[in-house]
Amino acid sequence: MKNRKNNRKDLLSLKFISLFIFFIFLSLSVYAQPDDTKCLVCHGKKGFSNPLSTGRILNLYVDAKELRKSVHSEKSCTDCHSDVLSIPHRNEINKVNCAERCHFVGNPSGAPETVKYSEYFQSVHGQALLKGVSSAPICQDCHGSHDIYKPDNENSKVSRKNIPKTCGKCHLQEYVDFTNSVHGEAYQKGNPDVPVCTNCHGEHKILSHDNPKSTVYASHIRETCSACHEKMQIMEKYGVSTEQVETYEESFHGIANEFGIKTAANCASCHGYHNIRPSSDPKSTIYKDNIPKTCGKCHPGANINFAKGKMHINPKKKESGIVYYVAQSFKYLTISVMLALVAHIILDLRKRLKKTES
Amino acid sequence: MDDNKRDDSFSTEKNKELTTLKETIKEQVLNELREKYGNGFKKDELEKIASRILEDYVEIKDKVLLDYIREEERKKEREKKEKPAEEEKEEFFIRFGLNFRLQHMLLFTSCIVLILTGIPEKFYFTSPAAFFINLVGGMKTITLIHRIGAAGLVCMFLYHCLIYTPFTRQGRSDFIELLPRWKDVTDVIQMIKYFFGKTDEKPKFGRFSYIEKFDYWAVYWGCIIMIGSGFLMWFEVESINLFGKVIVDICKEAHSDEGLLCTLAILIWHFYNVHFNPRVFPMSWVWWNGKISKEDMIEEHPLEYEKIMMKRNKAVKKNE
Repeated sequence: MKNRKNNRKDLLSLKFISLFIFFIFLSLSVYAQPDDTKCLVCHGKKGFSNPLSTGRILNLYVDAKELRKSVHSEKSCTDCHSDVLSIPHRNEINKVNCAERCHFVGNPSGAPETVKYSEYFQSVHGQALLKGVSSAPICQDCHGSHDIYKPDNENSKVSRKNIPKTCGKCHLQEYVDFTNSVHGEAYQKGNPDVPVCTNCHGEHKILSHDNPKSTVYASHIRETCSACHEKMQIMEKYGVSTEQVETYEESFHGIANEFGIKTAANCASCHGYHNIRPSSDPKSTIYKDNIPKTCGKCHPGANINFAKGKMHINPKKKESGIVYYVAQSFKYLTISVMLALVAHIILDLRKRLKKTES
Repeated sequence: MDDNKRDDSFSTEKNKELTTLKETIKEQVLNELREKYGNGFKKDELEKIASRILEDYVEIKDKVLLDYIREEERKKEREKKEKPAEEEKEEFFIRFGLNFRLQHMLLFTSCIVLILTGIPEKFYFTSPAAFFINLVGGMKTITLIHRIGAAGLVCMFLYHCLIYTPFTRQGRSDFIELLPRWKDVTDVIQMIKYFFGKTDEKPKFGRFSYIEKFDYWAVYWGCIIMIGSGFLMWFEVESINLFGKVIVDICKEAHSDEGLLCTLAILIWHFYNVHFNPRVFPMSWVWWNGKISKEDMIEEHPLEYEKIMMKRNKAVKKNE
């Protein structure tokens, strides 16, 4: 009996202890969940905003669902907004500095480790920020703030679908030029091959076009364009010749460009860059009537004859017409003349040898 | 053999004459001595004195003769120095005049400059060419040097065609000599036969062999192509404005290909004929002094040699 009572007591205490432990775990797991409820008391209300001294109305509404769908689904408000210490917070809340907390190489919080963070600071955007230009874009300007997704997610601001708009927020003229260009028009139809801003300019490492390291610097334009325009499998879809790269490289412009003469024409000098259009388009820089103006940028006094004939010429191909025949006739002339002369020399030497022997 | 015999007989006769002469002279001397000093001397003493006098006389005579001959020789040498001897004239012929040699020097200096700066431009995609271009100071510098060379070539070509060929006697005659003839074709055929041992006779060349004619006309044609196309590319805006872009494309192709052909022709053909050919190795000096030896003349230009000799003989006859 006694033993039984004791046993019951023991069982009860065991139950209590196990319950207690369970509650501890429960509370711990509740603690592990980001607790944004307090913040959302105010920030979850639509229309919650604050008029600024500048006259702009700062929208302070936060859609919590958005954050939960984003790459930061497991983060709570204060993980980023670390300067919020009490509720209500009366002090001015700063813009979140992503690089300070998590996004640096060797971070302990599991943020992706890439060189992109340092690339940004070398870029024209990062440099402007360091110089204190207030309009310089920071991470959130391109990637979004609560709605950050991986770039391959369509909803991402830096996805292929959204990049031109994202850049166009600041670079409006370029956006307009691009969307009306041959690349932009195809892009809007959902073409997967045409370049968007980042394909030519890079992403984090965007440099000014007069920086020698830039992908759009005069001497690098050819590589940037030929990245696609040299590829047969892309170009044959659209009936664009891949020869243009090779023929340019063999032309006066190409050779001079290769040897670092920056005044020599590169692809963009003639075709434009954001406003590239086919030669059939009257607005194109390489439309027949616009050629004298385009060439005249470097060759003052160019007239309409500059538009006659092919620009990109490959002497090895029959399509080049007269140039091809000139090249061929010289080839055979050289070979035959050299064979005749060398034969004459060899025969002469052979005869001399025979003579000296006899 | 006969000559020696004749010499011997000749010398014995002379010796006889000499001995008789000597004896007569001795007698005369003796007689004179007897007349003057006959009382004071014995006969044998007198003879001794006479023979001594004779010996002295012969010695002195020999010395005087030797001196005279030496003096004559010196005079002759002096005359030789003052006038180039006729023998040397026969040793060398002037093949190229100074005017022609200077043209050739201007031609090859500009050609060397043009080749050194042009070939790297043609083969820009090879690493040695790129190295050389950067060594010189980049594309702009190398094109500038190329155009300086071009100016030299243009000067030489214009002078040769517009002044030297029409307005100098040598220019005119050489140009006519250089024109290709049917004989050149037969010469080539004969040369090939000679190479293969079908005949033992080399073709006889005149002032210019078909080898030299080929060189001359190759340069002529090369200059026309290179200067023409180069000029059109130099003033590309004007050329395109006049003829369209295709003219510059043609010029670029022609200039580049003809430049290579010229270079190969010079390096292989011309260098063989004037440098590496065992007959002239390491170099023929005709370009420098314009002289050609009589030997080479008979070997290389027998017909011209014959012409020159004919002319000379005529001139000699006229003078006589």
